[in-house]
Amino acid sequence: MVNTTQTQELSTWTNVFGTKQGAIYQCDEERCWYVDFAGKVAKFDYRCLLKLKKAVYHVDIEDRLLNSGKSPDVEIIFICACDHTYVLNLLQIIALKEILEGTFVMFQLNHIIQDTLYRLPL
Amino acid sequence: MKDLIRIKSLISTEVESLLNQQVKKEAYSSSVYLAMASWCNRNGYDFSSEYFFKQAEEERQHQLKFYKYILDMGGNAISPDVTGIKQEYNSFREVFEEALDQEISVTQSIKNIYARCLKEQDFVTNEFLNWFLKEQREEEYKARRALELFEVIGEEGTGRWQIDKHVGGIKYDSEA
Repeated sequence: MVNTTQTQELSTWTNVFGTKQGAIYQCDEERCWYVDFAGKVAKFDYRCLLKLKKAVYHVDIEDRLLNSGKSPDVEIIFICACDHTYVLNLLQIIALKEILEGTFVMFQLNHIIQDTLYRLPL
Repeated sequence: MKDLIRIKSLISTEVESLLNQQVKKEAYSSSVYLAMASWCNRNGYDFSSEYFFKQAEEERQHQLKFYKYILDMGGNAISPDVTGIKQEYNSFREVFEEALDQEISVTQSIKNIYARCLKEQDFVTNEFLNWFLKEQREEEYKARRALELFEVIGEEGTGRWQIDKHVGGIKYDSEA
């Protein structure tokens, strides 16, 4: 796990999507993504990134907001066969969800651009 | 930036999810047919029981086709939980009515995936689904024909015995 992003790394990583709370970078060389969120930078491969997305999307934010019970406002995002676990409060979940949504929209956009500029004209 | 998602998988996550739902649906169908085979056997309808055993096996094969396709395209195939299978039926006819309902629901579900693939221009998956659409013609025909037997033979007297005998002979051999 990387704790801080070095300038050299940032030069080889592409910022896919980011907000004030964090960002997701893509490293083409390693064919993976780095999630800079909640004070750490964690490396995710294809499968783990999809699992992270599924786990975060699975949290019922509305239900949590309306729940007036005394249970702690904390969600553990545990991803099977992945080195990273997140312990996040509701606001962080919302922030991470926003980053992931933006990231996957960017992936779709990138797919369209790749098709249009490089794959189809060949 | 490389299109890493596309490099890893030919199908989108949405189509992958729909295909996994279909895996579950086929597994459910297979289990429903197995329960029908058991009910028919227990009630003396041996030909119908055999017919449903065959149907259960076919549905299992369909499930595996979807399962392997997801894996071949770089997706994540999920082995489904199958629960809530009805074990008892009120009548011989009800078994066939539910079998037809089951097939209609499978056809509808495949049409739904097909529509999604068209929207995404995923013609590769569309081509894969063509085989299933043709298969559904046969499945629905057989289920509908079985119900038709109840109308033309009638259940009175030895009617149900006759119907059972004819269910074993239902075939669909249209070349169209």
